[in-house]
Amino acid sequence: MKLNINGTEKEVNVEESMPLLWVLRDELNMTGTKYGCGVSYCGACSVMIDGIATRTCTLPVSAVVGKEITTIEGVSNDGNLTAVQRAWIQHQVPQCGYCQSGQILAAEALLDEIPEPTDSDIDAKMTNICRCGTYQRVRDAIHSAAKMRMQEAELLD
Amino acid sequence: MGKWTRRAFIGTGGVLATGLVVGVAGNMYVSKAIKKYTGKGMGDGESLNAWIRIAPDNTITLAVARAEMGQGVYTSIPQLIAEELEVDMSRIKVVHPQPESPYANTFMMTQKEPNAFKGYNLMEKMLAFLPIIATGGSSSIPDAFTNMRTAGATAREMLKEAAAKEWGVKRSDCRAEDGYIINNSNGAKLSYGELATAARTVEIKDLPELKSKADWTLIGKPVQRIDLPEKVNGQAEFGIDVRLENMLFAAIRHSSTIGGKIISIDNQSDIENRKGVKKVVLTEFGAAVIADNTWRAKNAALALQVTEDDGGNAGINSADISKAFDKILESPPLAISEDEGDVDAILKGEGIIESTYEVPYLAHAAMEPLNCTVLVEDDKATAWVGHQGSSFVHSTLNAVSQIPKENIIVNTTLLGGAFGRRGEIDFVAKATAVAMTMKGTPVQTVFTREEDMQNDMYRPAAKSKFRAKVNDDGDIEAWDNMMALQSVSKSVTTRVAPAIAPSAEADEATSEGAAHLPYSMNNRKVSFGDYASPIPVGFWRSVGSSQNAFFTECFLDECAHAVGKDPFAFRRDKLNDHPRFKAVLEKVAEISNWGNVGENTYQGIALHKSFGSIVGQVAQITKVGEKQFSIDQFYSAIDCGNYVNPDTVEAQIEGGIVFGLSAALYGEITWSDGAVNEMNFPQYDMVKMNVSPRVQVHIMDVDEYPGGVGEPGTPPAAPALANAIFAATGERLRSLPLKNHGYSFI
Repeated sequence: MKLNINGTEKEVNVEESMPLLWVLRDELNMTGTKYGCGVSYCGACSVMIDGIATRTCTLPVSAVVGKEITTIEGVSNDGNLTAVQRAWIQHQVPQCGYCQSGQILAAEALLDEIPEPTDSDIDAKMTNICRCGTYQRVRDAIHSAAKMRMQEAELLD
Repeated sequence: MGKWTRRAFIGTGGVLATGLVVGVAGNMYVSKAIKKYTGKGMGDGESLNAWIRIAPDNTITLAVARAEMGQGVYTSIPQLIAEELEVDMSRIKVVHPQPESPYANTFMMTQKEPNAFKGYNLMEKMLAFLPIIATGGSSSIPDAFTNMRTAGATAREMLKEAAAKEWGVKRSDCRAEDGYIINNSNGAKLSYGELATAARTVEIKDLPELKSKADWTLIGKPVQRIDLPEKVNGQAEFGIDVRLENMLFAAIRHSSTIGGKIISIDNQSDIENRKGVKKVVLTEFGAAVIADNTWRAKNAALALQVTEDDGGNAGINSADISKAFDKILESPPLAISEDEGDVDAILKGEGIIESTYEVPYLAHAAMEPLNCTVLVEDDKATAWVGHQGSSFVHSTLNAVSQIPKENIIVNTTLLGGAFGRRGEIDFVAKATAVAMTMKGTPVQTVFTREEDMQNDMYRPAAKSKFRAKVNDDGDIEAWDNMMALQSVSKSVTTRVAPAIAPSAEADEATSEGAAHLPYSMNNRKVSFGDYASPIPVGFWRSVGSSQNAFFTECFLDECAHAVGKDPFAFRRDKLNDHPRFKAVLEKVAEISNWGNVGENTYQGIALHKSFGSIVGQVAQITKVGEKQFSIDQFYSAIDCGNYVNPDTVEAQIEGGIVFGLSAALYGEITWSDGAVNEMNFPQYDMVKMNVSPRVQVHIMDVDEYPGGVGEPGTPPAAPALANAIFAATGERLRSLPLKNHGYSFI
């Protein structure tokens, strides 16, 4: 199967039913995407599929052939950190950091869909578990990233 | 000999079970290593001492032998060193060293400030001598606070001496500034990198004096975390992310009852014929499938048909445990932790307030499932693992593989959460046993989430009975608290070194957070009875305080309401002998604007000391429906003495509250026929964004030796919330989780 991951074509020879998570982690050694629950509940395995935050621990790899897969390793395509990643540093969001790849992908997808999210939008869209309890900082960082993104968009205009 | 400290059980057990790590160790050797160190803890190459290496290109590498599990220790310990070394934090790289003796955590063992050797009793001297290199008990900063500043100061003096020799001046004519030694007379300067080689041979006779607090430029400042850049771009390496050439992956199949055993595998050849499966093995720790991919391994492990021996534990059921607690509470106590005055004489006749509280077993459920990678070669073994005790990993590899200690390497990665679970050695032993069957090939053994949750070392369930009398002035005339639970220290030591397992009676951890409360009481008694059970219990973030703060602070609230007193004033009036507690309580009342909230909004208050730090919290909730609340806000004040990184302190309180709330709202491990019912997060749920409150933290400015911060934020969260719910509903919730009372939260 040919997969389009972070703009690069990758060939993998695995069962069609293997979840994308394990293709990324164990076949391609792209370990930024994490295994947390295996039942699509905690969100640690989130990546973007055609721009939509998607949990990959139960998603058969065959379902994503021909789609654009964006992982934490490719979320910034120009070598610089994205606004979300910078906001994550600015607010010192991560503690252990294990869930943060998934949190960041979920936040990127949220801001792509809703550029100026309210707290209610964040409550509805950010459903990933963080066992360290960094939610307050995730929320604050999303608001900051929204501002940064809009400022950058204005500069480009 | 004094009473054993809680952590001493596991540490001593680990050492006695498997022998000393590398040479002798202990507190007195820390100060020697600060002056001179020739070990290999930091790997090949020359270092100024066991913690500091400066390369000719001015790269500064610091050894941090404490596990980075989210608490920020890879930044806060370097802050201590850099404060005295006079270098910018941005130039520092951190390595996690091999488990060698200078890195012992003597504070964890003795609960006394290092360099207090003369003040140790015999037991403490022995404990301080043990090479226990571990992270737990919120002890990293209390252990490092003096030693790591001294390590930095001594290295600085060595660099100054090297420069003074070069210039033919006295050391006192030189000063250190931002990575340079400067000649005071002519302003000439040499970089640390230029001086490092010469500085290595300098001997400093007396340990230098440390800067006074007024001169600190890094300690007490919100320095950015060193480990965060790689935690936002996917490059951070947790144990489960280790990838090595020719590596294989293993999944364990545990017995279905706790303490049971898999005796045989009945479809071994079928499973070995599966795609990607290399081998099916039966070790003393369970069955395992080794494959070329984690998913293939775990599916194959699930498909194993096995014959089991239930270990005699198939009769374990949650309902029976609660009944057993009732029986213990009606029996004479096993031990009395505290007995002042004559409680029994007062608690007679009318006016006795009596309540019984209960909490369930809890799993740790760190986000990163348990895992450990091991490579066993002919006469060498190497582990890659995120573990809270690198010396325990070292001992375990030695014990399981029988490979000599000096040929064992422990590579400590980042930890995807730990909360006490990653101080256990079970998963390291299992991974080593699996790797022993694949010599020459590195094998990463990964627990599935289900195996992680169902094979934990749980926070023990507990039941606590209170009886008290309060007079009309609000004075507590008598306070009697009897509790029933398993001994954590006994359980931990029984696993590690059964020969020296102490009696439950000697375990002061059981009443930790229930005895020696700061409040004035005329008569008080705190006692406990042991619930003996094969259920493995272990250290869970804040340990005894995780249940005892809920019990004591809710019952105290009951006492206040029984005599019509405001819960804040009732507490404050009993803290005149403890000004630090009183100040924290008054501060949290102030920042929460206690008692002045809008319609439909309610507050609850709690105060608790654990791990050397006092934390007061106010929960503020809004009623949104029948038995439904929004947890809007938590206010928290903490007195942790001198603090290193205030942003980290705040983060630990924020996170500690969420951790406590997850347990309070949803957390419950239940037993049926010897097995855990809850399998995964849908059954053992966590607070998420929509329920998580805003948290406002105030750190008290107190010039005292540091307390811990990783755990103390957790205990007051549940009682503050339950007390707020009482304020809103008049319903006193005496057991957790609150979902079982029909309450929900948004």
